[in-house]
Amino acid sequence: MYNLIRKDLVLQSKMIIGLMIGLCVYLFLDVSSLWVGVVFSIAVAMNAVTIDEKSSVHILLNSLPYTRKEIVSSKYIVVLLLTVMVSAAIYVGNLAIHGEFTSLKNLLFMIAIAVTAISVMLPFCYKFKSSYLVTASIVAFGLYLLVVSFFIQDLNDRIRAFVEFLLTMQSTGAYVAFVASIMILYVCSGLVSFRIYKNKAF
Amino acid sequence: MENQNVIELRHVSKSFDGFFIEDFSLDVKKGFVTGFIGGNGVGKSTTIKMIMNLLQPDSGSVSVFGLDYENHEKEIKQRIGFVFDESVFYENLTLAELKEIVKRAYVKWDDSLFYDYVNKFNLPLNKKIKTFSKGMAIKASLTIALSHHAELIVMDEPTSGLDPIFRRELLEILHQLLQDGDTTIFFSTHITTDLDSIADYITFIHDGEHIFTKDLYQIEEEYAIVKGGLELLDQDTEQEFIATRKTAYGFEALTSNKRKAEEVFGEMALIEAPTLEDIMYYTKKGAVPHVQLNT
Repeated sequence: MYNLIRKDLVLQSKMIIGLMIGLCVYLFLDVSSLWVGVVFSIAVAMNAVTIDEKSSVHILLNSLPYTRKEIVSSKYIVVLLLTVMVSAAIYVGNLAIHGEFTSLKNLLFMIAIAVTAISVMLPFCYKFKSSYLVTASIVAFGLYLLVVSFFIQDLNDRIRAFVEFLLTMQSTGAYVAFVASIMILYVCSGLVSFRIYKNKAF
Repeated sequence: MENQNVIELRHVSKSFDGFFIEDFSLDVKKGFVTGFIGGNGVGKSTTIKMIMNLLQPDSGSVSVFGLDYENHEKEIKQRIGFVFDESVFYENLTLAELKEIVKRAYVKWDDSLFYDYVNKFNLPLNKKIKTFSKGMAIKASLTIALSHHAELIVMDEPTSGLDPIFRRELLEILHQLLQDGDTTIFFSTHITTDLDSIADYITFIHDGEHIFTKDLYQIEEEYAIVKGGLELLDQDTEQEFIATRKTAYGFEALTSNKRKAEEVFGEMALIEAPTLEDIMYYTKKGAVPHVQLNT
């Protein structure tokens, strides 16, 4: 398992360095670090998926002495590690460039959004291919517009209010519950991915 | 007596769209080279993928070294070296970078062995794998497969698309490997001439069915090509053959009962040793009704 995690980090090292430089540029331009963090976290996560996506690479990994459970769980650990790395880079970057401490609450919220998105995307990529994600996103956006137009017209306001509520939460217990629910979602996503990958033919 | 089969498939079935393997059983003996032959699309790669646990059978069991994948997957794979007909490596890496990734997976990885093969095959360590020719890619695969003291080498069409010189080199290396130790080699090919010099056993598969596993000597004893005039053929004699090819000048047929053919035709027909290609060709031609299933 450790070797698989190491492999992912080694294979992505150049990409990670490039993305971190890009991240600093965005921070320098003072774009919302929350959204920059979400976008970069998803980008590195998708890169981690696409490097192993060719069926020939699956043949290699599954012929080496690893179990399918290890292959899937290592990917989930790597993606989480990369998301934490992006938030650390934002924290350090903001401190170095603007001399300000990024609120931990903001970073936590960034990680939560990224992890939620990745929890949906990873099983999708194990079932289909990441190239279908664009199509799926367009369909999802279409559905979102439909919902906003015909069913819940104040959906945007509700989302905004929910975000506001999360960011103004004061009690530690509420935060723990929030983080726990995100982690449960992530673990469930891992279980779904493992179920998909378990019987996949290469 | 200790079980001397390294691979055992028992009553394995697997179906895909338009293709199926049914009630397939197979033994691969320890310490020997078994050549796995059959035409294109008859189930060779599917069988190899089931042996490697890349595919799970719908029913039946697969055991390697007497162990099942359910409980001993890592232990089994530690002891297998694999070569596939396509490059399965990260193509943007160099061989040196790839080695650093792969070696960590194996407990018995041997760097000195790796560099020995790299030198022997003249492989560049610092060129990206995507720039490798087909021959170099197979050599790289073989280098990785042989560098962790594997007890079983599984190869899927390792010689396809290779020039005759490299094919010969590859066979020599496998020869040497066998002399040096107790390694078992199981490899599929449709270039049957590769097998004459190296295989101890031949496993023949056709349309998802295991036709036979025999040693080369046994094949020579049992199978024969019979050539003669058309007047020798009638319904009874023709039934003795797996398949018959008739021309205006006579017939040529394959039998799996050489002795009987010799009794029936005596001096009237020419009886020759078949090549493996003959056996494959006539088995396909004769299709199911005439095939003698025999394991």
